[in-house]
Amino acid sequence: MNERPGEGSLGGRGALTAILLIAFSISLVGIGWDDGLINAGGFRAVGQILLAAIQPQLTLDVLSTGARSTWTTLTYAWAGMTVALIIGMPLGIIGSGTVVRSSWTRRWNISSARLALAVFRSIHELVWAWLFVAALGLSPMAGVLALGLPYGGILGRIYAELLQDVPESPLRALRSAGASEWRVFWFGRLPMALPDMLSYTFYRLECGIRSAAILSFVGLGGLGHNIQISLQDIDYSRMWTFVYFLIALVVAVDIWSSLVRRRVAIERG
Amino acid sequence: MAAQYGRGEPVARGGATAPSVPSRRIGFLAASAAIALLMALAAWVTIIGDDDFPSRNLFSVEAIAGAADFASGLIGAESAATPAFYKPDEWAEKGRLAAETLAMSVAAAGLAALGALILFMFGARNVMMGSLAPYRSPLWTAPFFLIRAVFTVSRAVPELVWAMILVFVFTQGTLPGVIALAIHNGGILGKLGSEIVEGLDTRPMLALRSTGARRMQVLLYGVLPEALPKFITYLFYRWEVIIRTTIVVGFVAAGGLGTEFRLAMSHFKFTEVTLILFWYLVLVLFVDVVSGQLRRLAN
Repeated sequence: MNERPGEGSLGGRGALTAILLIAFSISLVGIGWDDGLINAGGFRAVGQILLAAIQPQLTLDVLSTGARSTWTTLTYAWAGMTVALIIGMPLGIIGSGTVVRSSWTRRWNISSARLALAVFRSIHELVWAWLFVAALGLSPMAGVLALGLPYGGILGRIYAELLQDVPESPLRALRSAGASEWRVFWFGRLPMALPDMLSYTFYRLECGIRSAAILSFVGLGGLGHNIQISLQDIDYSRMWTFVYFLIALVVAVDIWSSLVRRRVAIERG
Repeated sequence: MAAQYGRGEPVARGGATAPSVPSRRIGFLAASAAIALLMALAAWVTIIGDDDFPSRNLFSVEAIAGAADFASGLIGAESAATPAFYKPDEWAEKGRLAAETLAMSVAAAGLAALGALILFMFGARNVMMGSLAPYRSPLWTAPFFLIRAVFTVSRAVPELVWAMILVFVFTQGTLPGVIALAIHNGGILGKLGSEIVEGLDTRPMLALRSTGARRMQVLLYGVLPEALPKFITYLFYRWEVIIRTTIVVGFVAAGGLGTEFRLAMSHFKFTEVTLILFWYLVLVLFVDVVSGQLRRLAN
């Protein structure tokens, strides 16, 4: 607690608490409360939605649509992740500045790659999706690229940091044995950072599934599309079926990815 | 730029089992890699083979011409009208919406934190039924599973889907979007918070308990102060994600830059889109910087 040694920033803590509370209060004022919280049919809607949650529509037709759109969402996520890897891997390596020795080139490499990565990931995948659909027309490629760009930006940044964080002493040993900077990277740095890079990629895959599900908002297929249509028909029980499909998919990938990450962690000891 | 995607978040704590059977683990990892590669292949075959959408024509003349058209639309070369970014009042209007977006993101982060703060300790296994529990009782185990399930469902459903559902419930305005963001991120923060508690060094809390502190007292005076700094750090990371997502929630709920973006896109006012994207980037950068500073203050 507060009297722990080495934690003299009690003033900082207090200031932070004050800042957070004030900011939160101001933001609440910004929401329009004048019209009341719940709309006219709101309470009835809550009741209907909750009631529908325990009786999802389980006709064969809906179930097969759910299965098919689950597959569509899965393919978007996976294809998007491959694009993200293609973008993130090289930019991450360049952005880590570990393959060049000359300090000027290195600095230029780091800053330009990181700027590109920052722009990619600043814009949300759905905004990218809308822009790509406007530019390329309605095609799954628009969705795949829209997923790949921001996810590539995230992966690249994390890769760059993981590559930089590798302990130096084994690398120094390689260097003193006469290895070129590129070989030091290839046989020293990359193998050491790879498990963490793999872990993070798998973690992102799980997020990618969720993102792929909402790509349908701009007109591409998938689970989100069916959820949206069900809501437009105000058919809550059909909506819940698709929501349950989505939850099952996300949880399944979540479990798989955390199993992989745990195994990788054990592997490293 | 700050570490908004929290390297601390994802990496699972391993070491639950002793590394005695390495061959089987390698087998699992190799199988996972093979499945991942096969899935990638299947995904691309499905997408490229999709006949409804001619995705093979991505590099066709029409696609490139369309992209060029859109790009010149964004910079205002398409129409004779004055581009939005030459009008000061458009700047001011979009700036006001950017401020509204910022307020929405803060409100959403605050509500998410509030919900997660109330629940996160009760979603930690060691507190409810593990080493920190003085006794096991269904009165504590049942809430544990319930709270974990709430976290799972709330974060498995994307913000946008929550927003689509909540517009049926709340009044038209920024509220449905804010609540949607709060639900999804509350689930994420809650889960992360529970994992913080599960990873804590429990010895101080056990000492506290040996002095006669009851379970709630151990939680409030032992667990909470230990977990809070890390929780706050995660909260700031999430805020950086939330600001990016607030615009997306605005696509279905009212308020902020998101709604404006949807309208501008639907009405083909592409120079306004440029202006909105500019403010969006400013917002994201601003939040990244502020969150980085506040995180430093927290630690």
